[in-house]
Amino acid sequence: MRLPQAQVALLEAASATDAKTIEQLADETDLKPETVTRAAFDLRDEGLVAVGERVDESATLTDEGETYREAGLPEVRLHRAAREAGEGDPVPMGEAVGAAGLEGPEVDIALANYARKGYGVVDAGEVSANGDADPDTDPEAAALDALAEGESVDDADLLDRLESRGLVDLDERTVRSVTLTDDGVTALMEGVEAAETVDRLTPDLLTSGDWADVEFAEYNVEADAPAVEGGHEHVLRGMSERVKDVLVGMGFQEMDGPHADADFWINDCLFMPQDHPARTHWDRFALDVPPVADLPDGLVGRVEAAHRDGVGEDGDGYHSPWSEDFARAIALRGHTTSLSMRYLSGYADADLEPPQRYFSVQKAYRNDTLDATHLLEFYQIEGWVMAEDLSVRDLMGTFEEFYRQFGIEEIRFKPHYNPYTEPSFELFGEHPETGEEIEIGNSGMFRDEVLEPLGIECDVMAWGLALERLAMLTTGAEDIRDLHGTLADLEFLRNAEVTY
Amino acid sequence: MPVVDIDTDELRGLTGEPDKSDEEFKQDLFALGLEYEGDTDDGLLQFEFGPDRLDRLSVEGVARSLRYQYGADRGVYVPNTNDARWTIEVDSSVPEERPYVTGAVVRGVELGESGLDSLIQLQEKLHATMGRGRAKGAIGVHDLTMLKGQALTEESEPSGTIDAATADLGATEKTITYRGVDAEGDRFVPLDSNAEVTPADVLTEHATGEQYADLVEDLDRYPAIYDELGLFSFPPVINGARTEVDAASRDLFIELTGTDQWTIDKMCVILCYALSARGGTVEEVQVDYRDGATYPDEYGPELLRPDFDTDEKSVTHDRIETMLGVELEREAVVDLFERSGLDAAYSLGEDETVYDVTIPPYRVDVLHPLDLVDDVGRAYGFNELEPTYPDIGTIGGRHERSRLERAVRTSLIGLGFEDMLNFHMTSAAENYDRLRLDERDPGADLSDAPLGAEPRAEITSPYSEDYTQLRTWALPSLVQVLENNTHRSYPQDLAEVGFVAHRDDDVNTRVAEDHRVAGVFARTDATYEDAKARLQAVCDDFDAELETPATEHPSFLDGRVAEVAIDGDAVGVVGELHPEVLVDRDMEVPVAAFEFSLSALE
Repeated sequence: MRLPQAQVALLEAASATDAKTIEQLADETDLKPETVTRAAFDLRDEGLVAVGERVDESATLTDEGETYREAGLPEVRLHRAAREAGEGDPVPMGEAVGAAGLEGPEVDIALANYARKGYGVVDAGEVSANGDADPDTDPEAAALDALAEGESVDDADLLDRLESRGLVDLDERTVRSVTLTDDGVTALMEGVEAAETVDRLTPDLLTSGDWADVEFAEYNVEADAPAVEGGHEHVLRGMSERVKDVLVGMGFQEMDGPHADADFWINDCLFMPQDHPARTHWDRFALDVPPVADLPDGLVGRVEAAHRDGVGEDGDGYHSPWSEDFARAIALRGHTTSLSMRYLSGYADADLEPPQRYFSVQKAYRNDTLDATHLLEFYQIEGWVMAEDLSVRDLMGTFEEFYRQFGIEEIRFKPHYNPYTEPSFELFGEHPETGEEIEIGNSGMFRDEVLEPLGIECDVMAWGLALERLAMLTTGAEDIRDLHGTLADLEFLRNAEVTY
Repeated sequence: MPVVDIDTDELRGLTGEPDKSDEEFKQDLFALGLEYEGDTDDGLLQFEFGPDRLDRLSVEGVARSLRYQYGADRGVYVPNTNDARWTIEVDSSVPEERPYVTGAVVRGVELGESGLDSLIQLQEKLHATMGRGRAKGAIGVHDLTMLKGQALTEESEPSGTIDAATADLGATEKTITYRGVDAEGDRFVPLDSNAEVTPADVLTEHATGEQYADLVEDLDRYPAIYDELGLFSFPPVINGARTEVDAASRDLFIELTGTDQWTIDKMCVILCYALSARGGTVEEVQVDYRDGATYPDEYGPELLRPDFDTDEKSVTHDRIETMLGVELEREAVVDLFERSGLDAAYSLGEDETVYDVTIPPYRVDVLHPLDLVDDVGRAYGFNELEPTYPDIGTIGGRHERSRLERAVRTSLIGLGFEDMLNFHMTSAAENYDRLRLDERDPGADLSDAPLGAEPRAEITSPYSEDYTQLRTWALPSLVQVLENNTHRSYPQDLAEVGFVAHRDDDVNTRVAEDHRVAGVFARTDATYEDAKARLQAVCDDFDAELETPATEHPSFLDGRVAEVAIDGDAVGVVGELHPEVLVDRDMEVPVAAFEFSLSALE
């Protein structure tokens, strides 16, 4: 059995036959009486000891009582002095007091008790001593001596008098005594071990009210606590959520769609010539599956015509081969612009009327070299705005607003070339930490060759960037492989700062 | 993206701006869309740019653009040409896979070492871009003085309809021939070699030959160009040593072969403009397809090259103003066109002003009037425009699945899971073998297949053997993360809400895509109960009814694995991973796991 240390000591000190008082047990166990009392009650609740009680009245000398016990009561000392000085005749007060060695309040005390106790008479400044009085048998002095010796004084009136004189303290005490029960004996025989001081506040302590009596071990509150590994949102996911929040706040609707898609949606709709270097087998992840089952008929014809002949009166096509077989081949999307094509064409959902804003933050796949800043799979932030008469100023304003949300100000627009947008811009901004000018996105107005086959008669501006790029800027991650994929370092993810 | 190496001393000379600093050039070129990337070992400055203005693949072309930007030149420039003295005859033996040829002569060019370097660079860059790695178009430049062209003895007979520009071709003094040759059918000394070898030998023994062998090795006959003395070029692989150009060469013969006449003609034009900037005089060359060879339909069988014809396109004033978002004076627009190296004249139509724009032949990027608007914008300076936020009201919102994913992820994180984000690509070994799964055949009945055993959507040309297919289930990724983090503290409770896919020919894209909720508990005392308890908690969050009837799955311990049935549908699996799976990964703690379809929580 494990019990708190005090209880163990008490149990060992207690006896089955002798009732021992708390005081006795406190002496024996070297514990404070209150600790022994608390332990006794706890053990009684466990049925291991019985606690008996009686009420004792006890008297103890006050400091004044102790003084008079040694020096003699003032009235006794006055009597003796008067008796010696006067030899039966009254003596002047001053002489008697001086001979008795009384000082200060002792004089009044002596005079107040002198006549009452029959030691003599004080009259007209003279003290006379009663020759019959016997100071040696003064009962009050005897009681003081007895109490000092630890003996009891049974005369209640006498004690009351002494208390009223302030020479003794009278108090009533409940004296508890402890005896071992049979269970207690059994427990001792089976062995008890000491538990520490109370470590934890338990439901039991709270409900029993014992929390008020127990001693709680002190903690080193400055010490490190054991590490806690709660779950975290993935740091890149946190970034993605933030981007989505910003775009939804700017009025963008989210797109969704297939990762494995026909090259038609990934490239042909985007006016990417079929012999464009990005469409060769070493840049693109073609899948070893049959070609797409269904493409919208009219659209395929219009897209092919755009590739071959261009659109509009003065439009030219590419001097590149075009085959529907290639358009139908399935690959992992190299950009999520395939989703934009599906939505703009009305194939993903309903036909769209301007104005519209759409976005996605989804994976794209590039057969690029895998290193600290490039992955085969990355999250592309894709967004577009469809409206009448959009200008490049609208494009600049929209994207400036987006990047401002991430602390990137002062965007520069570098004229650029994409097969599917014109004008096109690479976006450059200052790194929020280093101040270095870095590329932060690619943007442009979709070409007529893209929009006309899709049946769009207004303007559409679009942009894209890698989520990982934003995340590396904001988390300071130096190796993207720590962030994303099965090589992820749990320690890095557990300690990554939260994005909000 | 293409990169051009620029010698700024040359740039100073060619632009006529001797005082410009490198730093100023960098700024000016950024405005043109060329971004400074760094220096070469030889101290040249490297600039990267979008692959549209391929005329800027040499210092000569970059200098021309800068001269327009600085206002030193205006409007369209077309070099003068002299009449043709050489003909390229196309023989009917030319391999049909590479039927087209074009060419030009440039005389009096002052190359020097730097000019030669620039020429070689331009050639290589054109090969890499328009030439599609020499497959679509390949260039051979030769020292004209080393060529011997047999004088024509018979008058050529024009036949069929001929393009107006190329009509009435007379005989030229000299001729070379583009023809086919058997792999072992002739011998010549290729560049960087001393030995006379056959074309077949070149493909196996010569470094350059090996590099380009796949372009010709399947052909019945190899392309070859002959002069009076024999084979001097083996396009698209290598030139002969006899006609090699050096820094002292002044007269050049340029030939290009390829699969598209327009493409090789444009490559030829860009070369001629660059050489013209070096003081060369361009001389036309006749291309004669009349001897039974395949000729380009749109041009006819007889051509005069290089084709310096300009193009015309029209663009409205309104389109320019709308696109740039600014109001412009008409004269100002004409000025901007001219500073872009274009000519423009406007006419006031009934409703709108229309600019008729003349486009020089080196501009291969102008497919649509929109491209001219871009030129105006660049000349105006896009960064001069004041950004505006469009005054358009739209309602934003997330896709339903994206909201569900977020809610499930929040629930999992609340249960103490570390949110994971893994690759979608994996290998068969990781996806099946190491989880003790046997992949089902495409088209096989999957109703009794264990989760994950679906047939793979395989990548045709994988980057590495680690990424050969899409993962069919998410658990293997989580187990990989555990494997890679055995040195990190436990418990490791990981979860992922992520994409999986397998081949399914009944789906439109032939790939069935799904999103899964997967979790693993790795700790010294992980049990089935741990997995099921969390699974239950997630289901409770979404008011979904979970049942877990016993099942079998090779990845899990028998008797400690159950089907995850949510609202009555079998959607996943839960159990304790098989010790073999753990031991194989040197893991020393048990792992309980689950995976099920996200859509079950909808």
